[in-house]
Amino acid sequence: VVVRSASIVGPGEPALAKQKHHHRKAFECISRALKLDEEDRGRKEQAIELYKRGIEELEKGIAIEIIGQGDVFDRAKHLKDKMRANLAMAKDRLEVLVTGRNLAARKK
Amino acid sequence: ATSTLNAPQGEVDSLMHEVADEAGLELNMDMPQSSTSIASSQSTKEQDELSARLARLRQA
Repeated sequence: VVVRSASIVGPGEPALAKQKHHHRKAFECISRALKLDEEDRGRKEQAIELYKRGIEELEKGIAIEIIGQGDVFDRAKHLKDKMRANLAMAKDRLEVLVTGRNLAARKK
Repeated sequence: ATSTLNAPQGEVDSLMHEVADEAGLELNMDMPQSSTSIASSQSTKEQDELSARLARLRQA
């Protein structure tokens, strides 16, 4: 019988805990930004602020070095890649909103 | 019923935010999480959800 022990990661892995923390905060901010942004007449100003906060959290999360072997580390590296992709996309979206806002302001 | 246990964290969170928004409350962002403190497949799914929604906006 082969017992595959799950990789147990305790408090000795602060990097992973920190990564998860920033992932969570980024997810919360960007989810809320998206919710506003997805509405046609959504509160774009608020969405811009939430995107900015989410982007900061993603940057903090990506900055964390994930060094280690095993399932949990593989998963953490995978998560880091996803966060990096979302950082680029969120930045693009933020730029679109900011540009749109500036154009609207100039027309007034 | 397992369905209640399997409710995706992302959906639960956005529902909570919806309720909080309506009530004009600011959710405490540092609420302790029920799950472990390491990246899970759930976290990856949540990032995927953001990717999909961001991509949709880009096409709009």
